[in-house]
Amino acid sequence: MAKKRSLLRRIGLLACHTGLMTGALLMVMPMLWMLATAFKPPTEIALWPPQFLPTDWTTANFTGAFETAPFARFFLNSVLIAITSTAAVMLTSLVAGAVFAKYRFPGRTILFGLVLATAIVPFEAYMIPLYIQLVDIDWINTYQGIILPYLFMAFGIFLMRQHVSSAIPTELMEAGRVDGAGEWWILGRVIAPLSGNALAAVGIFAFIQGWGIFIWPLLIANDQLLFNMELGLTAFQFRFSADTGKLMAGSTLSVVPMLIIFLLMRRRIIENMALTGLKG
Amino acid sequence: MLFCYVALAPVLALFFYVRIIPIGFSFLLSFYKWNLISPRRPFVGWDNYLGLLDDENFLLALKNTTIYSFSTVLLSTVLALPLAVFLSRKSRLSAFYQTVYFLPVITPLVPVSIAWKWIYDYNYGILNYGLSFLGIKSVAWLTDPDIALWALVIMGVWKVLGYNLVLFLVGIRNISGELLEAASIDGASDWQRFWRITLPLLKPILLYVLVTSTIAAYNVFTQVYVMTLGSQSAPGQAVRMLVFDIYTNGFQFFRMGYASAEAVILTLIVLGLTVIQFAMVREDKVKEG
Amino acid sequence: MTNPTAANLGRRSALTLAGSAGIAAAATGSRKANAADVTLAIWTGYPELVPWYQAMGAEYTKAKGTKITVLSTTLREHEQKLAAAVPTGTGPDVFDVGQILAIKFIEGGLIKPNPTAVDGLLKSGAYRKTSIEQFTVEGKTYGLPQLFSTPAMFWNKALFKEAGLSGPPNTFQEKMAFAKKLVKFDASGKMTRSGMSLRLSGQGSGIAEKFRFILEPAGGTLIKPNGKGKFSQGYDNDAGRNALKYYIDAVQIEKVDDPKVQHDAGAFVAGNTAMLMREAWVIGEIKEKNPTLDYGVAPIPAWGTGPHKTLLQHNGLWVNAKSKNIDAAYDFQLFLAGKESMVKLTQTSGWVAARADLDWTPLLKEIPQYKEFVNPTEGMQFYPEPVMAAWDEIESRLADKLPGAYVDASLQDPAKLAAFIKAAAAQTDQILKQNDLYGT
Repeated sequence: MAKKRSLLRRIGLLACHTGLMTGALLMVMPMLWMLATAFKPPTEIALWPPQFLPTDWTTANFTGAFETAPFARFFLNSVLIAITSTAAVMLTSLVAGAVFAKYRFPGRTILFGLVLATAIVPFEAYMIPLYIQLVDIDWINTYQGIILPYLFMAFGIFLMRQHVSSAIPTELMEAGRVDGAGEWWILGRVIAPLSGNALAAVGIFAFIQGWGIFIWPLLIANDQLLFNMELGLTAFQFRFSADTGKLMAGSTLSVVPMLIIFLLMRRRIIENMALTGLKG
Repeated sequence: MLFCYVALAPVLALFFYVRIIPIGFSFLLSFYKWNLISPRRPFVGWDNYLGLLDDENFLLALKNTTIYSFSTVLLSTVLALPLAVFLSRKSRLSAFYQTVYFLPVITPLVPVSIAWKWIYDYNYGILNYGLSFLGIKSVAWLTDPDIALWALVIMGVWKVLGYNLVLFLVGIRNISGELLEAASIDGASDWQRFWRITLPLLKPILLYVLVTSTIAAYNVFTQVYVMTLGSQSAPGQAVRMLVFDIYTNGFQFFRMGYASAEAVILTLIVLGLTVIQFAMVREDKVKEG
Repeated sequence: MTNPTAANLGRRSALTLAGSAGIAAAATGSRKANAADVTLAIWTGYPELVPWYQAMGAEYTKAKGTKITVLSTTLREHEQKLAAAVPTGTGPDVFDVGQILAIKFIEGGLIKPNPTAVDGLLKSGAYRKTSIEQFTVEGKTYGLPQLFSTPAMFWNKALFKEAGLSGPPNTFQEKMAFAKKLVKFDASGKMTRSGMSLRLSGQGSGIAEKFRFILEPAGGTLIKPNGKGKFSQGYDNDAGRNALKYYIDAVQIEKVDDPKVQHDAGAFVAGNTAMLMREAWVIGEIKEKNPTLDYGVAPIPAWGTGPHKTLLQHNGLWVNAKSKNIDAAYDFQLFLAGKESMVKLTQTSGWVAARADLDWTPLLKEIPQYKEFVNPTEGMQFYPEPVMAAWDEIESRLADKLPGAYVDASLQDPAKLAAFIKAAAAQTDQILKQNDLYGT
């Protein structure tokens, strides 16, 4: 009887892995295609039906991309904007999320509701009014003008609120208060350490958002020196066609930092959080 | 409690300036007519809203976006959950799968739209190639107006699965290992442990996933738009989405007040759905021990 | 209702205008001496024009000392940026853009009437009469035409030879017959090469624009003027019905094109279509992606015994009325519109420069296929793109309906086809009415 169950289990596992592998192939194929195209000359890119792998491998797309525009500068700008935004978002999400989760105060529900409701409105609908506001404080064509709307993230606040309300026992906070700790200490020494994995998730998502912002920096930046990678890549998108090879090369380079951040944060997410501390 | 207000003050100030004020202005704009350029803004009352109710493009976009959202959210949630449970075990293969399934989240859609057009191609695409092995006739995934929307749903699920996966992994990791062990000792099967312990404890994260996926799906724009451009593209009307309609009305037809009204309607609809989701996934008080 | 931000906007614009007026007044005396301190910002929506702008900018700096900075992005985003920046005074000195947006700026006082020098160049014989008319609003001229978009018919010589055809078709009827010989199917009956590549699917006003390629020669038009400044639909007639029937025949009956196959320039470059009606930029694509392609460029066919007609679309070069260095900006605009500069524009980007008095011999020696674009066939008539705010909506709304119609088998019934055209035309009239532009 046990043997039969073990056999079924084995078959089930095999089926799972086959399914996972097929899925994984579909997940990764577009990116592999992008990578392969980055090494193709224009004549091969134009072939239809297309070949997946290049026959005539070339690095001209990569070198050419840097010749067309100052991509090193664009890359640095992307890094600056994304890291500043991520740091600010993680901080504000932690603080606001914790307060919304564990503290009762008048207007709590309405405020949280507003935070979520305004996240629903499409950015295109209010970006022009926001632009006009920045004209008034003379922040057009500045780094701070680009980063300002990305110093907090409604979804980040929401995630931390969900996490803190379910994973941080109020008893732990009470214990701290009984010992005479202030709220800031509780925030920093109790809540934060127990939120490592949720904060890592917020960090990843904030970085991806900050790295990929497009229309807002486009409106604000009047000088090419402020462009991030996304804006820089438009140099290869013409009116009715594109320099596909360079576009793929630039996009591939653009993906690398996000992948690195994910790999760094991934272990934090999977890591088991510290024990609750209430044993015994 | 003073602490609350002090802690929230900076975020709230920022929030007020970059969200409340411009969104408020935009919502008020829905009662006016504005062509984006001239300073003239005549008051038109409810005209924009009444016009929308008659607008075949808006109604079509509403229908398409709703179908797209419900399908994408349902599929991506239902697929991500068991995947997360399976991949929550620490192993080398898990790490590999987690990374690979997350790749679509960081794959830029404008450059890879061509890859997707190739996947969906009627003559040379790999989907039809796979179908041919099963003896099924080729499908015009992208160019057939009846199927195009579903092709984009598949793309949408592909893009967002990894995001949901990471979130569920966070949620699962917070579930006390001791609780699951105790249940297993008491004789509970894998399925029972999942259904009776894991799932209820995942409710906060599940709510988060549902709400944010719905909001994101209703706001879909670039990833659909880019598949309607160029050759072998999806028929525009079959995959017309709300934010595309808003953008077109505002920036191409220069009817900013009209577009604002559309944004208001979109917001109210999604807000309604969010409220329903909050009510449906009631957060239970966690019982420990 | 008072709006604080709008009031601030007005105040700020007034300040900027006053400021630049003051600067301009103070600077007139010592303009030449200060030229080196001036930087002009150019914004373009055509990334492929950037090398030309930069080259011309460098030349200008060498000659006059004024520095030039170039900012480029994709067209739609460029238009959004202009729409945000120009009215608020944070825009560039010079920019290129199509006329739909430009007309809004002109109406809003954000582009001034041309100064004497620019107006003089425009009317000096350097530009076609149609161009001058397009850039005139209520008797005054604004901006300069920069480049043309006039479609012609690309045809694949090798495929024609293979099919036993000696030359390109002269009429649309011939085109259909030729396409039947040029279309190719694989063993399972799937179309692998279209006989002609029509715009059948996708999104955007382009679908309606391409519909005009056949509608106009057939004798119809999207909107017709009533001579008193108003318009009404011009295609609820035989021409409109025939044009739609042409598409339906091509897709459903003669089966020379199919939404499922590759289309447009990509298909022509890859040899997957034998005929394509498109603009000059395709030449650049072919040069880059398939230089050995044996192809020709012929005029857009005529409809039966009617005249040859093709679309004339302009892109303009404009000076921002709020520019802080407006004189230098106009000077640079004139420089960019110079003869050598315009020829260079075409040589580097493939877009056809809009001046009528240029010497194209060196270009034609290198790439003879440009001939139809720069020296169109005798007798070719041009129909313009109407300069009005509602035009994009008129084209877009029709474009939304067409792809469905092309594959709709029920429209093979003439009565149903007529009803479809009638409904579409009624919507065009509706849009005109909404914009106070309707009149018969």
